[in-house]
Amino acid sequence: MNTHPYLRAYMAGSAVPTMMLLVVLSGFLIARYTFQIPIPIERAIVFPMALIPNIFGLWNMFYLWMRPRHHLPIGFHGAILPFLIAPLGFLLATCSGFLATTSIGLVWFHEIVIPYAVLAGIFSLALIAYYLVWKYLVGFFNQVLGIS
Amino acid sequence: MSEKEQKSPADLVKQSLTPMNRELDRDLWPQMLRRLDAGDTDRHWLAVLFSPAALSSVPWFDWALLAALVVGACVFPRLIPIWLYHF
Repeated sequence: MNTHPYLRAYMAGSAVPTMMLLVVLSGFLIARYTFQIPIPIERAIVFPMALIPNIFGLWNMFYLWMRPRHHLPIGFHGAILPFLIAPLGFLLATCSGFLATTSIGLVWFHEIVIPYAVLAGIFSLALIAYYLVWKYLVGFFNQVLGIS
Repeated sequence: MSEKEQKSPADLVKQSLTPMNRELDRDLWPQMLRRLDAGDTDRHWLAVLFSPAALSSVPWFDWALLAALVVGACVFPRLIPIWLYHF
């Protein structure tokens, strides 16, 4: 019987960002309508809604494929993902018009300025978040679906 | 009672019993795992994920990383939409 392990890996990987989408959308709505940050929700939601779940699913399939060859703990495997996602998100945000590069730093949503000096710190926090999410949440769904 | 007559009941008992298989013909470990997991299948997956057993197995440095994340979100709350964008 073919148990479709790669399909299960895709489903386990994409489950977490799909659930997180409600949090993301709620966060965007609160930021826009409560804190008056001019987030263009209809454009900004494309990346977390359409691309991130697919990338997570594919990355988990890649983890399953890699496991017998070069075994890397799932947390570290997930922590590599921001190196792929951050430039992709940067590119999409720039093309969508809500990210601009200026002399003082990156300007997100025409209002949030991130000086270049703190970018590394912010990126390291993203690495931590991805490490924990992959180790505990994606790892849990992998276990539930019989992948690990 | 002759020696031959004494042996025959023992032989009869031996013949009536099926020969014992000293080696198991199957692996018992998957069955054991299924039994161990049986308790979890009845529980909601969130209850399993956040069960005391699961939380107590989290190493201290992962708690420290989570704390760093929370502190980072508290110190730079304006970055939360950007983090949300990348999720």
